[in-house]
Amino acid sequence: MMKALGSLSRRRFLTASASLGIGTIAAPYVARADDPTLRITGWGGKWGEIMKAEIGPAFESEFKCKLQIDSAFPYLPKLQASSRSAPIYDVMHTNSNEQWAAAEMGLIEPKIDPKLVPNLADVYPYAISDKIVGVSIFTSAIGLGMRTDKGYGGISSWKELWDAKYNGVRGGYVIPVNSLGQAFLMMCGTLFGKGQTDLDAAYMALEKLKPIKIVDFTGAMEKMLLSGEVGLCVIHDSGIYRYDGQNQPTDFVSPSEGVLSLEQVLTITPGSKMKELANAYVNYMLRPDVQKRLAETVWYSPANKKVKLDAKYDAKLLTTPEKVSKLIQVDWKWYNERKDEIDQRVNRIFRA
Amino acid sequence: MSSAAAQRPNGLALFILPGALLFALFFFLPIGLMALMSILTGNPVVAPKVAFTTRHYARMIGDPFYLEVIWTTIRIGLVTTLVALAIGYPLAHWMARIKSRAGHALLLMAVLAPMLTGIVVRTFAWMTLLSDRGVINQTLISLGLISQPLKLMYTETGIVVGLVHIYVPFMVLTLTGVIGRIDERLEQAAENLGASPLRAFLEVTLPLSLPGILAGSLLVFALAISAYVTPILLGGFQIMTLPILIYQQISANFNVGFAAALGIVLLMISLLLVVAYNRALGLVSGQHDLQ
Repeated sequence: MMKALGSLSRRRFLTASASLGIGTIAAPYVARADDPTLRITGWGGKWGEIMKAEIGPAFESEFKCKLQIDSAFPYLPKLQASSRSAPIYDVMHTNSNEQWAAAEMGLIEPKIDPKLVPNLADVYPYAISDKIVGVSIFTSAIGLGMRTDKGYGGISSWKELWDAKYNGVRGGYVIPVNSLGQAFLMMCGTLFGKGQTDLDAAYMALEKLKPIKIVDFTGAMEKMLLSGEVGLCVIHDSGIYRYDGQNQPTDFVSPSEGVLSLEQVLTITPGSKMKELANAYVNYMLRPDVQKRLAETVWYSPANKKVKLDAKYDAKLLTTPEKVSKLIQVDWKWYNERKDEIDQRVNRIFRA
Repeated sequence: MSSAAAQRPNGLALFILPGALLFALFFFLPIGLMALMSILTGNPVVAPKVAFTTRHYARMIGDPFYLEVIWTTIRIGLVTTLVALAIGYPLAHWMARIKSRAGHALLLMAVLAPMLTGIVVRTFAWMTLLSDRGVINQTLISLGLISQPLKLMYTETGIVVGLVHIYVPFMVLTLTGVIGRIDERLEQAAENLGASPLRAFLEVTLPLSLPGILAGSLLVFALAISAYVTPILLGGFQIMTLPILIYQQISANFNVGFAAALGIVLLMISLLLVVAYNRALGLVSGQHDLQ
């Protein structure tokens, strides 16, 4: 058979085949090598799926660029270790507490320029309030998640989490590493003391919360609630609503004292070489059509006032000024300044 | 000829060079950098003004919480090592002395089989057994033996159970090689001279297998004190160990200097215990070269 190929030797044939194979595999990458690349962070799960399948490719196509998404948490230590003049990310997406820490370290620009991001004009005030660095593109409501098959009855207050009947089935978070846990600590100050900054009252309340099962991520709490390992826990609304239609015996409770805000914040790094594209990305993520698609996939409340969600989502998410006014924002700057002290104390409190 | 030979590159040295370079690059350099970061106020690569400081170590010494965390880490490591040794030694002895090749192969497969599954998966498997709604508690409740679930998870015992399951194969494989090389005729000679099988084991086999015990224990101890996934999942963050604290300092407090100082302490604990263990075993066995 090799003779039929004339002067083509076996070695040449194999070399040509290998080159052709490598060329075929590499062709799309070579063709796109000149495209500018925007490096961003983003969550995994449903968020990651839709970003990869739909939202990301649409952005790449519209802005003729490549989107490189890092969904391997934690992001801030990686940004911290990279050069200030050539940061590892152009746009950082994370919760508000980490954005404040990044701002303190000078790793991100504290404000987004409304001239470069026109959609900023359409966001609810909370999204660009003095409690936010960058812009909050979505928010969740942190409240209580409960099992509906355990006969707990109507729950309407945060304080019911302290009821002895939930001993053994109460769920919370590792406060040093989890935004919900940190926000909840501030809520404890409000519930049992003079306000969010009353740490002594918060510590006493946390002591009384034991026994409690604590986890690091909300995903882990969702699984514990679904399995019945916990019956009442601190959780954000999307952690419950995303199982809508699956007949799960779980429900979200918005406590009468108010719900805490869990913001999804975008910021731009000062050393980014892709500033124009970075601003375009922030603007794109605030666009009503993109907001609607993401909100209806991951059950996050959109920050853009102009977004009209389908009735099912509109009924549950924070989509009107009245609903949004119930959100309680945490002063993360104040919190981060005391984080070491708080962490040491809560690590002691929750030690077995 | 002798000068030409001296100038010729040594074949063995060239063979060792890649490994030595790799070791220097991926072992000594990171440890050196970690030691440096632990005595600096910031990262000199990205921060403009960085100075030497002892504050990270002072913080650790000044707060009893960190000393308690260090002791918890050591305690879990020691208990895991002892339990793994207690389970692993008889198994290794059996494997080393079994006459049937098929039997040896089956035992080896039984020891190696769990290692084919990832640590995370195995730890989750333990969670399904030990949790409040896990197999053990549900079975006991359904049999009417208990009314409330036993606290099997979120305890040091739970962590040790998970770690022992993961690290027993390391102990067994290390011990099997050593015990297998001990001449059985030495035990037979002891028995011929009137020693009971137990005394022959205690005075002949056990001392000769001490190098294996040493190697296996050090391996398991080092792995146990640096374990992260199992203490987190089975301890439910309520048992704080050094690796968890290090991760917390890097991922949530962004304090690389303090995390590096904690890392150096973890390393020092391992080194100190290696030295102490070597000395103790050297004294017990009379093998002074161990010292």
